[in-house]
Amino acid sequence: MINQEPLLRVEHLCQYFKAGNFVTKAVDDVSFDIRKGEVFGLVGESGCGKTTTGRSIIKLYNITSGNIYFKGTRIAAGTQSYKDELQTAKDPARIAELKAQIKAARNDQKNCDKAYAAKRMEELKNEYEQKIKAAADEEKVRLEAQYKAELRKARKTRLVTQIQMIFQDPIASLDPRMTVREIISEGLVIQGERDKKVIDEKVYEMLELVGLVREHASRYPHEFSGGQRQRIGVARSIIMNPELIIADEPVSALDVSVQAQVINLLNELRERFGLTILFIAHDLSVVKYFSDRIGVMYYGKMVELADSDELFAHPLHPYTRSLLSAIPLPDPVYERQRRRITYNPLAEHDYTVDRPSFREVRPGHFVQCNEAEYQRIMTELSVK
Amino acid sequence: MENKLHVQDLRISFRTGNGKVQAVRGINFDLSKGETLAIVGESGSGKSVTSKAILGILAGNSIVESGEIIYDGQDLLKISEEDFHKIRGDRIAMIFQDPMSSLNPIVRIGRQLTEAMLLKGRIRQRESKRTFRTFLKSLCDMMIASAAEDAERTRATVSCKKFQQFERKHTELEAAYNAAHEAAAEALDDIEIIAFELEKNTVARGAADRVRDIARRCRESLNKYVVDPDKYKAEVMQNASALEGNFRRKDYPAVLGNLYRLREIMREGAERPKPNFFRMGYYLTFCDKPLPDMPLEKLNEFLLKFLEKNFMDDFISDARRAVTYSAGQCQEHIRAALQELEAARPVFSAEHLDKKQCINAWRKLSVTVRRTIDPLAVSRDSLVYTFSPSMKSELDKYFHGAKANVGILRRHEREKRKYEAIVSKGGKPDWEVAEAAVTDLELIKANLSHIIDRIAEHYQKLLETADSRDYHAETVGVIDCLMQNASGIVDRVTPRIAKHRAIRLMEEVGISEPHKRFRQYPFEFSGGMRQRIVIAIALAANPDILICDEPTTALDVTIQSQILELINRLKTERRLSVIFITHDLGVVANMADRVAVMYAGKIVEYGTSEDIFYHAAHPYTWALLSSMPDLDTNEKLTAIPGTPPNMIYPPKGDAFAPRNKYAMQIDFERQPPMFQISDTHYAATWLLHPDAPKVDPPRAVMDRIARMNQRRETAND
Repeated sequence: MINQEPLLRVEHLCQYFKAGNFVTKAVDDVSFDIRKGEVFGLVGESGCGKTTTGRSIIKLYNITSGNIYFKGTRIAAGTQSYKDELQTAKDPARIAELKAQIKAARNDQKNCDKAYAAKRMEELKNEYEQKIKAAADEEKVRLEAQYKAELRKARKTRLVTQIQMIFQDPIASLDPRMTVREIISEGLVIQGERDKKVIDEKVYEMLELVGLVREHASRYPHEFSGGQRQRIGVARSIIMNPELIIADEPVSALDVSVQAQVINLLNELRERFGLTILFIAHDLSVVKYFSDRIGVMYYGKMVELADSDELFAHPLHPYTRSLLSAIPLPDPVYERQRRRITYNPLAEHDYTVDRPSFREVRPGHFVQCNEAEYQRIMTELSVK
Repeated sequence: MENKLHVQDLRISFRTGNGKVQAVRGINFDLSKGETLAIVGESGSGKSVTSKAILGILAGNSIVESGEIIYDGQDLLKISEEDFHKIRGDRIAMIFQDPMSSLNPIVRIGRQLTEAMLLKGRIRQRESKRTFRTFLKSLCDMMIASAAEDAERTRATVSCKKFQQFERKHTELEAAYNAAHEAAAEALDDIEIIAFELEKNTVARGAADRVRDIARRCRESLNKYVVDPDKYKAEVMQNASALEGNFRRKDYPAVLGNLYRLREIMREGAERPKPNFFRMGYYLTFCDKPLPDMPLEKLNEFLLKFLEKNFMDDFISDARRAVTYSAGQCQEHIRAALQELEAARPVFSAEHLDKKQCINAWRKLSVTVRRTIDPLAVSRDSLVYTFSPSMKSELDKYFHGAKANVGILRRHEREKRKYEAIVSKGGKPDWEVAEAAVTDLELIKANLSHIIDRIAEHYQKLLETADSRDYHAETVGVIDCLMQNASGIVDRVTPRIAKHRAIRLMEEVGISEPHKRFRQYPFEFSGGMRQRIVIAIALAANPDILICDEPTTALDVTIQSQILELINRLKTERRLSVIFITHDLGVVANMADRVAVMYAGKIVEYGTSEDIFYHAAHPYTWALLSSMPDLDTNEKLTAIPGTPPNMIYPPKGDAFAPRNKYAMQIDFERQPPMFQISDTHYAATWLLHPDAPKVDPPRAVMDRIARMNQRRETAND
């Protein structure tokens, strides 16, 4: 099912937050691709920027610098890197180029959705104009009405709605004053769907898909258990027919037995719709079970990225090793022997002379390292 | 192993608008000293309610239906709120699940950390003083009472007086040492910070005050056993005053020079080992010669020899005589008490209990039972201590119930007549007559005789084992206890010391820059940091029992691992007993010595962690084990179908039966008893009944166990 075409490409994503004079680099120069149909796991300790990455992709923040491409279209672009370069640039040609790039980035950041909507409208226009021309008179009226409705929807189409998010806390992420029907259909309504019947049908379909029943549509979120609420969250996100789902710790707030239910549900949906999922979690056992590829983040940087089996079998970055050594397993004898490897970046690396970069050491396996470390890893790998 | 906590037949319900929710339905467990008991189960299984009952913080709508929680000779379900203040947070501490809501948002972290230390510090000091005095007094009394001749008697009197005298010297010396040592350690901390700031050339505001503090503390740290005044006095004084002067003149290089010198001296002082002041106290009080000049280890040995030769040998033999005598007396009292208990039995087993008679008998029994308490016993005998209050509470229940039952029955009859009248008229009322909520007097009577039986049995056992008691070990225990309490008297917790300890505690739980963090508010901390602060607060009062209610569920693996290691380390260092509540089986495997699996308010399986993980016997445990992926899981997860039962109407049979694919007919009809599988392993499922069909655990569990064995074998190779 997985093919090699990237659905989402994140390039040099930086997300800084300013607090007074102090700048927090929540995400600092992170690049990765997510291919169509795969589950990409993002792990790391709390505060390492994995949630911020997810939120930046769905444009909840304006990113500081870098580019995000979704289905080949640039949906978010930051300007900070150009601005920084502009301050030191001397060559007038380069300055002009940078200025143009800043302008393009600003334009894309603001207008990518409008451009997408215009494109959709253009397509519709071409399609229907031909049809209407060819059709008979009574058919024409029906087609024109249909065209109008479609056009209205197309005008409101946003590219970003094809990316949906499932939030961590199923209690806080549902509006307590809305019924389940309103919660699930809200996206559709915003998109311009007015036909009540269509909305109801869609809502019922989604409810049944996530293992709830039609009667639940008229209830309020507080009447549901944690697992059921998370199912509502899932239903809300898949009603928009998304291509990419960003699941931000969807199971960490749930009970053990319910966690398994939600993971199974996500797995089923993924097989059925060929969904692509960006799975953010800190429970490594679940991530390993669920993901095809895994990226490990540490203090805003991606330190290692590989296939999940490869990552667990041959962790190369010391932080990954320390992370893997900390996973508790339900095996008392093993647990008593388990020794946690501590990771101290200052003792582990010497980056005073040679800055590290993200390098591919094996096909599909990337590690953040500098030249000396790269050489060491390569010799280690060749010995194996 | 010493038993710390004993929970028996605990039943707790909650009154709600829809009916009575039976949250905990009869659970039993013991907790030994230095042991971790993990309680596993889904939310709503009653695990948090159990822990809250132990801490006495149940919600207002809760009803404790029956049971007892015995800790240190007290039944925690029956003591008053004032008594509970001495236990809660001090002896039993709790780490809560949600670090957001368990910290006060408008109080600085430092104040929240030191609050308990300051509050409990004074109480502990007072308590140590009291225990020391009463203990010493009863020891002396016993010594004198047990003396056979006049010479012995006078010797005992003299040695007791001596003991008191040199104890005073001991506490004096130790208090002075403590103050100086804390001052040195604090000065050292502050010097590090100021020096760092000066080196980086970023002196913060208020630095002048801190410099003054350093100077003062350096001067305070002059003590013979910390910073030796003979050697360093002149240097410390000179540097300290130069420090202040130079700082005022903004001559930072000179300040740094002074700081470095002071740092060296303070470090040497703070790192010097602590001498044994108990022995030294004796020497200084009764020997006219000054202390011999020798290294500390040798000095300690010399003092020990001196003490033993001149005093301790006699004192110990006297004390041993006293302990033996007191135990013998106690046995006499026990024999008397046994007779009296037998005599009182008919009073409590009559058809209708007579109030006056019962209360009189209770008073008499209380006095006799209290007399059997050995004044020289170091650990409290919980059964003897709880006898009187639990009898009293049962009696109160009985007489109140007997009185109230009449009215309740009358009202019930009236209602029933009304209902029947409506029915006989052909009406169909839409309500039914509820069962009369009468107090079960027979049950209370059974409880009363059970209490008497239990204490009688306990006495019999004490008498039988009396010959095999090790009186020498007990004597040593008594003297150790005295010494500990004496040190407790001088352990004064001032705000400054509390701050110093809090900062050390913050370092211990892995918070960087504790000095800066100390002055911040909770919102400036991340979730993991906040949880670590909560753990530090729980540990601040140095508790006996630590209850952890899902402490790491909200944290990521690395921090989780650090915190589990921290709790494990403290457990071994301080011989802490831990109750660990979680639903993460990986964490359980890491922490637990024993595991109790709870479902619908009952313990369904109970055993050592090996029993539970390698030989699980209950279908619910199987389901839990197979619903979580581990690193080698590839197949579909087997989720547990359905939801836990509604505890307003708990199921008649096994509560797990509707979700259990191994359920048999009997599971829906009768509750399974606890079947014993091995010495340590129990499970409540009909599958273990000899007539039940043989059932293997699900494949996922079998596979996992096979994988675990494989991994272990490869690891051994």
